[in-house]
Amino acid sequence: MQKFFSNRKLVIAIIVLIISFGLMSVSVAIRDKKSTPPLIQQFGNDVAGAVDRVVALPVNGLQGATNSVSDLLNTYQENQKLKKQVDQLAQAKVTAQTTSAENKQLRKELKLNDSLSNYTSVTANVLTRTPSSWMNQLVISKGATAGIKKNMPVMSQSGLIGRVVEVNQTNSKVELISNTSSTANKFAIQITNKAGKTVNGIISGYDKSANTLEMGSVTSNVKIKKGDKVVTSGLGGTTPKGLYVGTVASVKQDDYGLASEVEITPAADLSDLTVVTVAEQ
Amino acid sequence: MRYSRLKIIFPIGLFLALFLDGSLSNVFAGHLFSYPYSSALHLVLLWLIFAIFLDDRDDLAVGLWSGFVGLVFDLYYTGVVGVYVVALPLIVYLCRQIKPWLDLNFLTLLMVYIINLTIVEAFVYIWYSMSNVIDGNLADFAVYTLGPTIAVNLAIFVILYYPVRRLYFSVN
Repeated sequence: MQKFFSNRKLVIAIIVLIISFGLMSVSVAIRDKKSTPPLIQQFGNDVAGAVDRVVALPVNGLQGATNSVSDLLNTYQENQKLKKQVDQLAQAKVTAQTTSAENKQLRKELKLNDSLSNYTSVTANVLTRTPSSWMNQLVISKGATAGIKKNMPVMSQSGLIGRVVEVNQTNSKVELISNTSSTANKFAIQITNKAGKTVNGIISGYDKSANTLEMGSVTSNVKIKKGDKVVTSGLGGTTPKGLYVGTVASVKQDDYGLASEVEITPAADLSDLTVVTVAEQ
Repeated sequence: MRYSRLKIIFPIGLFLALFLDGSLSNVFAGHLFSYPYSSALHLVLLWLIFAIFLDDRDDLAVGLWSGFVGLVFDLYYTGVVGVYVVALPLIVYLCRQIKPWLDLNFLTLLMVYIINLTIVEAFVYIWYSMSNVIDGNLADFAVYTLGPTIAVNLAIFVILYYPVRRLYFSVN
């Protein structure tokens, strides 16, 4: 009797593990499909998101309060620094305005209505971050009803931070660019040097220790220097052109000495995100 | 306080813990996930273990709720179903098995919590690496993930142990 009892437990344990593994394999396999998540899962996530708002709002409010206090302490130094930048900015803004007006006019003459760099943006709050060491994911407070779709790029105020991987009706999941797993999607980017020459490539990885993005397998002869600006190239369809990614930190030979590898310092701080913008092409 | 009230407080606290896990992870992301260490918060697990060991009547539906909260965790946070929904009830089952043999005090519960943290983290690590959600080797996992995770969660355990024990004593 005793033996039969323990055997039955073993069988149950094995069946549970198999079911669990099966569920996981299926959800990983269908993760990239357009139709996922299924309606029932969306509903569950929407309910969870609604409850989460109640918890997240006070916590985020508390964070906002502490941030304002620390901001207040740094105000003087910041003010000095910013004053210097403001003068330059005004000039840059005027130049940008004239160029974009000219650009619009020229595009009209060429009858180019859709360009790669056109996009509208949706602003969303960050509700929560996955409490796991393995997944660098955020849940944001806008979903399909706000027009968000899978694979849209997501930015913070300062630059690109990731892409949408799952859309529910009222919230969606964002995978950060620091996610290094093999299934992560890669962004197409472009580096422009001082002479105006460009190098195209994709973000091939993330170096945690230096907090830099890597762009591997660069065989172009164009000279890239530290400080050159990196933006998305708009190739591949889903990402608009010209979203700011960061600046070049260093260029080095890759392990085989054939191509070079560019290290990019991301413009956005991936550990301090409260409001994000989703770019919609 | 009456025992019936605990039956309402327990699930509410469980879901509060679930959502606080995520919110606090976002707020303290700079501290919790600073290279090379990364530590995950486990308030849900903490709340479950308190409920199992501090409640003398064993009348709460801890197993059922743990499965439900695991499912919500999988759907809402990770999108990979089938990991926490099994891991959390497994922990509840194991704890219920060892409870009769334990002389319960602060230190033994601390030990039990360390063991359970290790089981959950290892289970999640093995499951994710089998389905290629992550790639990382075992040594890095032990040093840079498991270690800091246990450290952070033990600190939270020490802070919360006495208030929660008071809550359970007041109903039993």
